[in-house]
Amino acid sequence: MTAGRRKRAKGIVLLAFLLACLPLLSGCWNYKELTDINVVVGVGLDKTEDGKVLLTVQVAEPGSIQSTSGHGSGGEGPTKPVFVVSNEGETIFEAIREMLATVDKKLFFSTAQVLILSERLARESLEESLDFFQRDHEIDYLMNVLVAKDVSPAEILEIESDMDTIPAVYISETVENTSYRGTGKKTMLIDVIKDMDCKGKQPVIGQITKAGENMVRTEGLAVFKNGKLVGWLDPYETRGFQFATNEITNAIVNIPVEEGKMAMEVFRARGEIDVAFEDEEPARLIVRVKLEANVGGHEGKGKLDTPDKLLALEKVLEETIKEEIEKVLKKTQEEYSSDIFGFGMQVHKYHPQYWKKSQDEWDQIFSRLPADIQVDAKIRRTGIIINPVIKEH
Amino acid sequence: MFGRIRNKSKSGRNNSEEIVQTGSYGPIPPSADAVKASLNEIFSNCCDFILREIACGKNGAIRILVAYIDGFVSKNELNQDVVRPILDFLANEESPGGSSIYNRLTDCIVVNNDIHEAADMHQAVDGIISGEAVLFIDGETRALVVGVKAPQGRQVQEPDTETSIRGAREGFVENLLTNTALIRKRIKNPNLKLEMMQLGERTKTSVCICYIKGLANEEIVREVRERLKKIKTDAILDSGIIEQYISDHRLSLFPTVGSSEKCDKLAGKLLEGRVAIFCDGSPHVLTVPYLFVESIQATDDYFDHAFFATFMRLLRVIALTTSTLLPAMYVALVVYHHTVIPFKLLLTLAASQQGIPFSPFVEAMLMIVAFELLREAGVRMPKPIGQALSIVGAIVLGEASVAAGIASNLMVIVVAITAVCSFIVPPLLRASMLLRFVFLIAANFLGILGIAFVAVAVFVHLCKMRSFGVPYMAPFAPLTLNDLKDAFIVVPIWAMITRPKILRQQENVRGAKGSRRQEVNMQQ
Repeated sequence: MTAGRRKRAKGIVLLAFLLACLPLLSGCWNYKELTDINVVVGVGLDKTEDGKVLLTVQVAEPGSIQSTSGHGSGGEGPTKPVFVVSNEGETIFEAIREMLATVDKKLFFSTAQVLILSERLARESLEESLDFFQRDHEIDYLMNVLVAKDVSPAEILEIESDMDTIPAVYISETVENTSYRGTGKKTMLIDVIKDMDCKGKQPVIGQITKAGENMVRTEGLAVFKNGKLVGWLDPYETRGFQFATNEITNAIVNIPVEEGKMAMEVFRARGEIDVAFEDEEPARLIVRVKLEANVGGHEGKGKLDTPDKLLALEKVLEETIKEEIEKVLKKTQEEYSSDIFGFGMQVHKYHPQYWKKSQDEWDQIFSRLPADIQVDAKIRRTGIIINPVIKEH
Repeated sequence: MFGRIRNKSKSGRNNSEEIVQTGSYGPIPPSADAVKASLNEIFSNCCDFILREIACGKNGAIRILVAYIDGFVSKNELNQDVVRPILDFLANEESPGGSSIYNRLTDCIVVNNDIHEAADMHQAVDGIISGEAVLFIDGETRALVVGVKAPQGRQVQEPDTETSIRGAREGFVENLLTNTALIRKRIKNPNLKLEMMQLGERTKTSVCICYIKGLANEEIVREVRERLKKIKTDAILDSGIIEQYISDHRLSLFPTVGSSEKCDKLAGKLLEGRVAIFCDGSPHVLTVPYLFVESIQATDDYFDHAFFATFMRLLRVIALTTSTLLPAMYVALVVYHHTVIPFKLLLTLAASQQGIPFSPFVEAMLMIVAFELLREAGVRMPKPIGQALSIVGAIVLGEASVAAGIASNLMVIVVAITAVCSFIVPPLLRASMLLRFVFLIAANFLGILGIAFVAVAVFVHLCKMRSFGVPYMAPFAPLTLNDLKDAFIVVPIWAMITRPKILRQQENVRGAKGSRRQEVNMQQ
């Protein structure tokens, strides 16, 4: 064997040795097995009276949710599908880390479905509290954010839902429903963060209340102004708001008819907002809504068999929706003075010069402006029957 | 088997004086007795060697020796075509003149068509050991080699290793001449060239280079010839040995020489301008150049509707990726990248992991090794037992290991899908098997990042490779747009007008061009 060859062989042996060390030396770079994490499904954020953060987490126990898992080896798994832990801390991060003193495994936040904020926290320091949730890499920006009204986040997270084994999943599914109906709004963390930074639009966050022992209701909105909660919108105000901001996919609007009511199913709606300028000054807030609806139920008298009757109904529907929008616009203008619609963004976009000089007073300007609401409704179909099946006398 | 070869060569070294050196037998002695003595010496201790002496003519004046190996030669043919005519025609012959008898034998006595002359003892011995009968005539220094080989080996049947739904059922057999005839049957053209050579100093295995002149690139043919000539070994027992000697990248996991047992497949490859290498004793015929894309091609693709063929191609690509990457991806996701797993799936995964004493990596290793053991056992075992084994494997691996809490349900599914996928692309079965482990280890230490590292390394390696001068990853790298018609998608056969361009054939257009030109000529 030549010297060069020996050297090469030596090199190979050394390399093999180093490679053999590799598995032993690899520390724990992010290495986490699924059995070593606590799957957080819901987070509640509250503020105590002395200004500390009260963090509540709802953690899922996968073993008791899935009946198919290999239970052959271990004895009884945990029987409850979730457990809820609360902890106080000076800061959120500290509260989370301190929690490890009482729970067995590291908390994994990516799976969190809902973030529930208490009213007190929302009124005092929303922006400050959300900083951690923006900064941490494990947080899913798509999780639902809700503000608990008349109830603490911990109370909500502690409910035992009969509908879904995981209460947090149950909550996020009701949010989907109400936002489909238009009476609620699905506000994801990313939406809130975006609106917080935007001067032309104030954030709104979905509202959650308790509806009985084991149920919640996620209708209505919490209105914010400059990072602080200023008030609430009820479900119908929420719907009016969403007609204007083009976020309705399907809504049932009741309109008065002869001796009763008629339910109209709005299935296509396009909302548009604008600010009309006159002499370089904003003159009017404009809301334009175009929608199409079907007759869903006719609980009154009257035939529907001529176009004229449908045209008349269209007028009524337009009025009804217009009133709904008017009401919410007035409330935000007068009561809250908070531009949750984003009229300011329109000004910023189309009249940047004006925006530049008056953006800081936009709230007052917004509150002063008269509104012009135009609703254009079309009734497309009347279902599979035309006239109500009633004996006419 | 290989132990035996080693022993053989060892004993050969020890008793070199006893081993007769072929090529040094000298001329054929004129005297029949001398020939007899010399043959008996050469074939001493060969009980299958038969040397028969015919004495015919008046008073037995003419002595003819018939030498052959028993079992190689069809005795019926030998008797009818050679011995009987000799006895009949030479019965009244008087002159013992060797030369004239030799000429008469060749011209008008021996019925068999396949006769040629052996000028010296060496050629005569070659004839005997390759299964022909050799006639030595007293007083003549030439011997007559008569091809009366008995048909050997098994019948042509469907190959077990490459089954197809559509297409010929004929597969190659161990006999070289049967194989070449099978190809000749499909390509009836004198331009189908078959160049015979013998390899292996001791085994003298016939090896045949086959190509279509005017189609195949001459340079590749020349290269094949040269590489074959360079093989220095004493035994060629299978084309697999040739494959290892001539392949461009001997240490690579990926094959650069193709092999097939199917006649129609080989005919197709020849018509694309490739070169085939037949090896006597092996039903596997080699084709070069062999490109990566060939491993996802199947003969069925061309006989079926192009849409289905394309779908199958894509499935094969998916299967190849899955069988290589799935366990690694699973482990990477489960131990590093929880954030990308959808929430509900994460719960399922976490639930299935509960109570498992091993890390996902160890679990995956155990299951994959167990599967490979079963697979190998299934290959080696007699077929009836193999079935029992697969039942045991399914029950033990699938059911019991989950029930015992050694493996999670999902891991069993992952390994099962991997196993199924690994059989879909047979040429890359072994490559993907080994790469699976490499990827798995990388995934356990670095997650998706590790998988990406290894994948890049594999792709760099693949793109660097060449098979007989042709880039291995063609038509993808270098991108040959024209050849993409037969890669991930398959265009209908009537639209596949040109042959794979990357092979640089002498004539690129399929059929149409040449035949049309001929028609025009004929009309003129």
